[in-house]
Amino acid sequence: MSVMTVPPSRRASARRNGVGYLFVAPFLLVFVAMLVAPLAYAGYLSLFREQLIGGVSFSGLDNYIQALSDERLLDGVLRVSRFFLVQVPIMLGLALSFALALDSGMMWLSRVIRLGIFLPYAVPGVIAALMWSYLYGPQFGPITQLAEALGLPAPNLLSSDLMLGSVANIVTWEFTGYNMIILYAALRAIPTELYEAAAVDGAGAWRIAWNVKIPALRPALLMALIFSVIGSFQLFNEPELLQRLAPNVIDSAYTPNMYTYSMAFISQDVNYAAAVSFLLGLVIVVVSYTVQFAVARRRT
Amino acid sequence: MTLPRMRRLAVGAAATLFLAGCAGGTTGSTNDGGDKPVAAISQADIDKAMKTPTELTFWTWLPDIEKEVALFQKKYPAISVKVINAGNSQAEYTKLRTALKAGSGAPDVVQIEYQHIPGFTITGGLLDLRPYGAEALKDRFVDWAWGQVSGRNGEVWAIPQDTGPMGMLYRKDIFDKHGIEPPKTWDEFAAAARKLHAADPSVYLTNFPTNHNSIWTGLMWQAGVKPFQMKSADQVSVDVAGETSKKLASYWSGLVKEGVLSADADFSDQWFQGLNKGRYATWLTAAWGPLFLSTSAKETRGKWRVAPLPQWTAGEQKSGNWGGSTSAVVKTTKNPIAAAMFAQFLNTDPESAKMLTTLQFLYPPTKALLSDQGFVDQKSDFYGGQQVNKVFADISDTVPADFTWLPFMDQINNDWNETVGKSLADKTDTDAALDKWQQTITTFAEKQGFKVAR
Amino acid sequence: MTVTATAPPRAATGAAHSAAAGRRRSPLLTLGMLAAFVYFLLPLFWLVVAATKSTGALFSSFGLWFGDDFALPANVRNVFTADGGVYVDWLLNTAMYALVSAGGAALLAALGGYGFAKFAFRGNRLLFGAVLGAIMVPSTALVIPTYLIFSNVGLVNTPWAVILPSLANPFGLYLMRVYVEGAVPDSILEAARIDGAGEFRIFRQVVLRLLAPGFVTVLLFTLVATWNNYFLPLIMLNNPSLYPVTVGLANWAARASVGGGGTGDVIPLVVTGSLLSIIPLIAAFLMLQRYWQNGLTAGGVKQ
Repeated sequence: MSVMTVPPSRRASARRNGVGYLFVAPFLLVFVAMLVAPLAYAGYLSLFREQLIGGVSFSGLDNYIQALSDERLLDGVLRVSRFFLVQVPIMLGLALSFALALDSGMMWLSRVIRLGIFLPYAVPGVIAALMWSYLYGPQFGPITQLAEALGLPAPNLLSSDLMLGSVANIVTWEFTGYNMIILYAALRAIPTELYEAAAVDGAGAWRIAWNVKIPALRPALLMALIFSVIGSFQLFNEPELLQRLAPNVIDSAYTPNMYTYSMAFISQDVNYAAAVSFLLGLVIVVVSYTVQFAVARRRT
Repeated sequence: MTLPRMRRLAVGAAATLFLAGCAGGTTGSTNDGGDKPVAAISQADIDKAMKTPTELTFWTWLPDIEKEVALFQKKYPAISVKVINAGNSQAEYTKLRTALKAGSGAPDVVQIEYQHIPGFTITGGLLDLRPYGAEALKDRFVDWAWGQVSGRNGEVWAIPQDTGPMGMLYRKDIFDKHGIEPPKTWDEFAAAARKLHAADPSVYLTNFPTNHNSIWTGLMWQAGVKPFQMKSADQVSVDVAGETSKKLASYWSGLVKEGVLSADADFSDQWFQGLNKGRYATWLTAAWGPLFLSTSAKETRGKWRVAPLPQWTAGEQKSGNWGGSTSAVVKTTKNPIAAAMFAQFLNTDPESAKMLTTLQFLYPPTKALLSDQGFVDQKSDFYGGQQVNKVFADISDTVPADFTWLPFMDQINNDWNETVGKSLADKTDTDAALDKWQQTITTFAEKQGFKVAR
Repeated sequence: MTVTATAPPRAATGAAHSAAAGRRRSPLLTLGMLAAFVYFLLPLFWLVVAATKSTGALFSSFGLWFGDDFALPANVRNVFTADGGVYVDWLLNTAMYALVSAGGAALLAALGGYGFAKFAFRGNRLLFGAVLGAIMVPSTALVIPTYLIFSNVGLVNTPWAVILPSLANPFGLYLMRVYVEGAVPDSILEAARIDGAGEFRIFRQVVLRLLAPGFVTVLLFTLVATWNNYFLPLIMLNNPSLYPVTVGLANWAARASVGGGGTGDVIPLVVTGSLLSIIPLIAAFLMLQRYWQNGLTAGGVKQ
């Protein structure tokens, strides 16, 4: 938490701190109504089961027990874990390199390039999928046509071997620029003295980047990492959109979140979907804390 | 990354097609409909209701349907119908189901595809139209369309609006070039597939899409399989892996494995290009296909012709159906009489029914239109001047009438993709995949409380 | 999730440097970055090219270059006239939902972020932790409960069904809290209090001004999120005249492939409609660039 300056008098400060409730109240009110209430309702629903024949009955923790031994769910969790371990380092690595390159002041056209890389963030997932599904096309897509023109075997980007990579590419395309901007902004805020000191010591651009800039980016990187944990484990949009092109590769349990969706809307099992969502939320909390813990430990 | 919650909610355009499920809702009591005799509403009551100022809400995804609605309002000035496009098929069903669950917000009249009717009737979502004189309309419709709107106890759950009897569109130019006659039987079709692909490896006789089971289901229908039947209120029979289905599986998976047919996702960018660039020499499709093709493959104008599906037995004429929808009345309506009259008028009034074929390009289920000269004699330049509607009108007579659906078709359709469709795409054992499909449907049905017979 | 703050407030308005200014420029680095630039713009280039083609050319000419015909004006005209010009409604709806949501979310986040950052009330940490914890649970399962709750209070099929859920933006709150810590020195608050200003007047007249870049940042990010929102409005809205542009386009796209009365002619509508729909967002980002980049600076740098 933030460290506050020592207050003038304890009582005045206590009274004033009470005003804090008034400031956070509007947000919390909406938050409770729009997120907590549906969450609580979903939690309640997760304790029941409902059949087309037989109706609703209380089932206690049955849904959770069933989910824990649900192989399709487990497969999905493992798949997004793999995705997280591969895609996130690539995306953040690229974002970091781009940010450092922009910050180095060693390139022409940096404003234009910065905006170009950031632009995909403003493109809705709907439209991103429309564009990439064209580019991925296994017969007439430009990637295939280019490979054929060069006499290379055209990769089928929608096959089961390459699909996770194709999904990762879209996510990377959408969010590298966004992460780059966050990191770049953080770089711009590093106090000049740090550079000057290093420059005086005769450090080159690489050494400054490695010894001064990257350590200073640690908090920004941690934030990007935590949001990437959430993004990866809740992966939904991109595979959902590619499912139309390759429904036999991306099944309804491809990612855990697609599985809850399919349970809620195809199998009409809102109750089980709610239970799976809560378990997935738990996994995300655990992974987020692990990541934070790992980063914190390395720092000391 | 940002706001994962919001980002996740932004599902894509393409996904809407496969959006949501359609096995029954969840509003408690199961309604098996009319074991009790139904009392007809008197003509006096109908007359009174049709003169009382009423507003109806009608959910449909047909563009420009307001023209037909205007005919109804002209005849019944007291009734005004508000047309709302609540989304295409699955998107609409998801909304309808949630609205029914919430107990408010549902429309009075709604467009539903045939196969999704049972999913709404099992939870008591639809109104039996018999008391409103719907039974009298039976003879106006082809029997296989009527069969699909009829309940197990004789209920009339909806009025048929359009159908999709299946036929074969083929590229005459490609056939001529390679000396191939339009195949009359599936054996000839297989031989033609091998011959064509050997002569030109960039062309496939047809594409067998593995991203949905509509064609598969239509072919089961043609072959006389009755895969989905309600035996009683809580007993279903599932037979998707019987002898005939296995025959279908070995036929299609055999050709796909040989590599003489393609297995691309249809209605995708790639597929549209394939149609335009002559990658596929036929399209096995429904009666709504010809118009669709003429607007999406304009480059190939004049090169296509229409024929019936090849047959399993030479000399026989059988087909299946793919698509088509109905107008149903939602049980929660406050104006059942006006709603029922509207559903009937829209699809049976001669002028309105004809308009559906000329403005919305629907293929008609009414006997009157299927023998109407103005309709069947139309010639289409895209098909070299052929009378396309006539070909399909003849096919429509050959669709077996006893095909029915189960209340959880979305689950069934989704499971097909992950079993049979997957095996076709991966060129693995389709026989085993059929058994797996049978098994996943059975497991789901039992979990939902049904007794399952094969 | 508590990224704790210990550092003193740093210059949040980009006063920092570029240490390397004046350093020798590298053609190699520029080339490398240009390659990345091409990768990130290639799909958008396809969209622009595709929007200039008619249905026929779309599926028969090479996708990454212009065809023989130039159908862009016709496509644009069709987008604006199809279904009685409903596309204009969709754009206006989207703009309205996005602006109201974004404005509301930014205001709530500014109030809340300030409250959490500057007032040590009981339960501060716990409440803040709960807010961030809530985004860990996937919302797919929440759609139906939310619908049922909204239905009970009569909000379904109204603009509020789209706007209200967008108002609580935990990420925005997080960003604002961090930003307040960086940009609002306690000394200014103390000075204002000594002058006898009330807490809300201080917020309105002092804090909000200091928060402008952070406010714009949260505003823009919520704007993007609402602009791209699809699933929630799809479920909540029945009436096409209330649809945002994403749902409307999806509706058109579905028409291109659903059996029965379908026509392939709507595909140029979808492509051109998509292109037109992202232009306002891109314009907003370009115009407000200075603000959001500074806003992010604070969010990123705090430790």
